[in-house]
Amino acid sequence: MLMTSLKREGFPIRHVYQWFLPPFTVQNYYTVFNRAPIGRWMFNSLFIAVSVTALVLIISSLAAFAISRIDFRFRKFVYVFFMAGLMVPGEATIIPLFNLANNLNLVNTYSGLILPSLAGPFAVIILKEFFDGVPNELVESARIDGCGLFRMYWMIFVPLSKPALSTIGIFTFIGSWNNFLWPFLIIMSEAMYTLPVGIPAFNSAYSQDYILPMTVNAVASLPAIIAFLFFQKQIIQGIKLSGIKG
Amino acid sequence: MSKQLKKDLSAIPFILPFFIVYVIFVVYPMIQGVWMSLHRWTIVRKVRYIGLDNYRDMLQDPYFWAALRNTTYFVVLSTPTIIIAGLLLALISNQNLRGKTFFRLSFFMPNILSVAVISTIMVFVFRAYSGLISTLLKDIGIQQEIFWLGDPDLAWVVIVVATLWWTVGFNMVLFLAALQDIPAHLYEAASIDGASSRQMFWYITLPLLKPIIWVVTMLQIIASYKVFAQIWLITRGGPGAATRPIIQYIYEVGFRQNDLGYAATMSYALFLILMILTLVQMRVRRWGETEL
Repeated sequence: MLMTSLKREGFPIRHVYQWFLPPFTVQNYYTVFNRAPIGRWMFNSLFIAVSVTALVLIISSLAAFAISRIDFRFRKFVYVFFMAGLMVPGEATIIPLFNLANNLNLVNTYSGLILPSLAGPFAVIILKEFFDGVPNELVESARIDGCGLFRMYWMIFVPLSKPALSTIGIFTFIGSWNNFLWPFLIIMSEAMYTLPVGIPAFNSAYSQDYILPMTVNAVASLPAIIAFLFFQKQIIQGIKLSGIKG
Repeated sequence: MSKQLKKDLSAIPFILPFFIVYVIFVVYPMIQGVWMSLHRWTIVRKVRYIGLDNYRDMLQDPYFWAALRNTTYFVVLSTPTIIIAGLLLALISNQNLRGKTFFRLSFFMPNILSVAVISTIMVFVFRAYSGLISTLLKDIGIQQEIFWLGDPDLAWVVIVVATLWWTVGFNMVLFLAALQDIPAHLYEAASIDGASSRQMFWYITLPLLKPIIWVVTMLQIIASYKVFAQIWLITRGGPGAATRPIIQYIYEVGFRQNDLGYAATMSYALFLILMILTLVQMRVRRWGETEL
């Protein structure tokens, strides 16, 4: 992919070894950025993924804290109610969800791309389990020192659950970055494209050639690859946790 | 104010944000979908109650059954391939070979790439006349052109290869984790008794991996039933409708033919399948945990 992206536009390849030989050029990168708002698509993807991740972590951990540590009425019910959501695959409610987004004027907006991704109960359930493991003595002594609920959440539970939070965060981020079906349905204009929707659109416009599409692929993949190299330990650890115990 | 009420009130700010988005974007669409499936429902909202007509139409719709059959065919093709390949890769990368970190990383890497990137690369590898495979075949002297995406069987091969390449690393990591949990003394004892490495695999590794193999298989089946993106991007469901999966048909009925009610009805068929599979998977998982 990288090799191809360095070829001249329209360069014909007759033998396999030619893929790996000069002439090379970086001209394609200029061309790609000039012909498509790929910078904008990248910004969209990044903005959406960052917002989704941050919001999921905040609202899910708050809910998980309440279910784990506050003895309110209906607590069992709320927990089971959220658990039931694990059974609902997003793919099965995509039509009514689109209808809803349409009625709420969320089609082709950032809110429309972000909000539905926040509603998955997976993070709440995982964090609740994690919070249950926080030793009671710690909570008791904090309470004796006059610590309110919100401070307890912020000063004890959030710092203690950093590993769980970062795992969930990374997964939410990758999931959002690569999400295809929902953006594909509700994005109507090129300016709102995310990378997974933008790349195929761009590539089908240049399907006769393979060099520009490969350049787009390279541009789109580099951030993911760099991020992966940075976080590989956590990612692989996270899969082990989520796959076996989740 | 009673103590209990105070507790109830104090929980509200914590629960409420998630509760609201959950009800709006998960619970409400669930219920709304049932309502829609009982109507002739279009995007411009000319709603007409038609009872169970959509369900009757669905059962008589040959395209629905074809799409369901295609999806099932994909599940049958891809699940064993991906499970076996994942297990093999995990076994190889669990050996103490040089470069095993590189090996693991390179197989896991495609997982984080966008499905759009995976799919375009596959199209350019398999396309006729100028693709990598085509060029390769010409280099070794085979002049015959293979139209990978023009033949249903070959198109499935391309789709399964793409899916394999994209997702196998994930399963590899799961198997690897399980392999590393197998106590080393079992192998030591076996080697003292003179077991060959093949015997060790059949009598120690495989039985101990059985629970995780089941869990991964179920997760894979569920994921494969939801297949859409890579097929859409590689073949558009073609040639004809030979590789069209159920989600693509739902999408086409809903958005191209503007029949949201019928599309919602078919979503419930998919939902039913996925729900049964999820229940089985939860069973399997619980059984796996007691066995471990």
